[in-house]
Amino acid sequence: MTQVPLPLSAQFVPAYPLLTARLCLRPFTRADVDAVYSFRSREDVARYLLDDAMSHEQCAEAVRMRTGQFAFTSEGDKILVAVERREDGRLIGELALIWRSVADQQAEIGFILHPDAHGQGYATEGATALLDFAFATAGMHRVYARCDARNRASAAVMERLGMRREAHLREHTQVKGRWDEELVYAILDREWAERRSR
Amino acid sequence: MKTELTLKTDRLVLRPLQRSDLDAVLGYYALPEVQRYLDWKARDRFEAKAAFEAMRKQTRLTRPGDIITFAIVRRVDGTLMGHVSLRWTDATAAQGEVRFAMAPTYRRQGYGTEAVRAMLDFGFTQHRLHRIFAVTAGGNTPSIGLLQNLGMRLEAHYREHALFMGEWDEEMHFAMLEQEWRRGAMPYRAVRNKVA
Repeated sequence: MTQVPLPLSAQFVPAYPLLTARLCLRPFTRADVDAVYSFRSREDVARYLLDDAMSHEQCAEAVRMRTGQFAFTSEGDKILVAVERREDGRLIGELALIWRSVADQQAEIGFILHPDAHGQGYATEGATALLDFAFATAGMHRVYARCDARNRASAAVMERLGMRREAHLREHTQVKGRWDEELVYAILDREWAERRSR
Repeated sequence: MKTELTLKTDRLVLRPLQRSDLDAVLGYYALPEVQRYLDWKARDRFEAKAAFEAMRKQTRLTRPGDIITFAIVRRVDGTLMGHVSLRWTDATAAQGEVRFAMAPTYRRQGYGTEAVRAMLDFGFTQHRLHRIFAVTAGGNTPSIGLLQNLGMRLEAHYREHALFMGEWDEEMHFAMLEQEWRRGAMPYRAVRNKVA
């Protein structure tokens, strides 16, 4: 595993690589561009995202930015990790943790997987590792996740993580030229701890 | 000639605040039971007067971010019982937020419901809003009841998403869409903790 140079004032950083039963979560490197493009270029992946399907150049730029986004230093910081399948080393997706509020100890989690890797519990497994970091290491009080109300697969992952549906927003904004319908799920630190202790 | 915006309901007149309303507003603004759920806190008369002055100037919705505030006045005797406001939060998506405060003496008589209904009507029909929402604290049962009686949906119930005066908050968001208003929204009984 390559050494990652930490930002000088990093407050919280995962103990990379985060290993789960089947996955390895690690910072992005420039060698990941093609793998990211393999799912970020797809319309079926972009359909429920705020982003449009990305070109190879846009993926290269996104990955370039992510190589520096792997720790929490201040509010607004994002931790973006590559999700690698351990058995074949294939990059199957990405996970994100965003430090939404320092004062209120709030973070947002997000996940995107290559459709070939859907339906096997990878998102739940990877998100679990990242939630462990968010609560146990970064001291978050609450972590929330958002998805398009039509994205049932994403909502199912949130529910499997034990998150509670806190909002169902209808037509509160427009995304990609049509009315948005958004679900917000959330879980508190004590609820996560209770889950993990079972 | 500048015409003053005024709304009339069965028992109320909603009109801009005037300088002469100061004492009536101060009479309820600083009360603990009113302060508890107000956004703009006033620790003393000076701050309450500043809040009043700000509200007095909120007479039209010209650009996103603007707020229009009305005094809630009982027609039969001209008593100022509270205030209601509409904030134009988003122009592209045509969204607005309604807020209200009533003096405790005048509660439980349907005046608040009547005033907020008039504000919804104003927002949807006069200002062509697509969605109007209201935010209330989880413990504010009377406000929750009022919004439900108007047929607004419980869209969000955020738990401990912010610290408020050292304590974790509980925030409920109610909302209504223009098409729901047009179709005549029925009183809505939200199952607590279950978002619609």
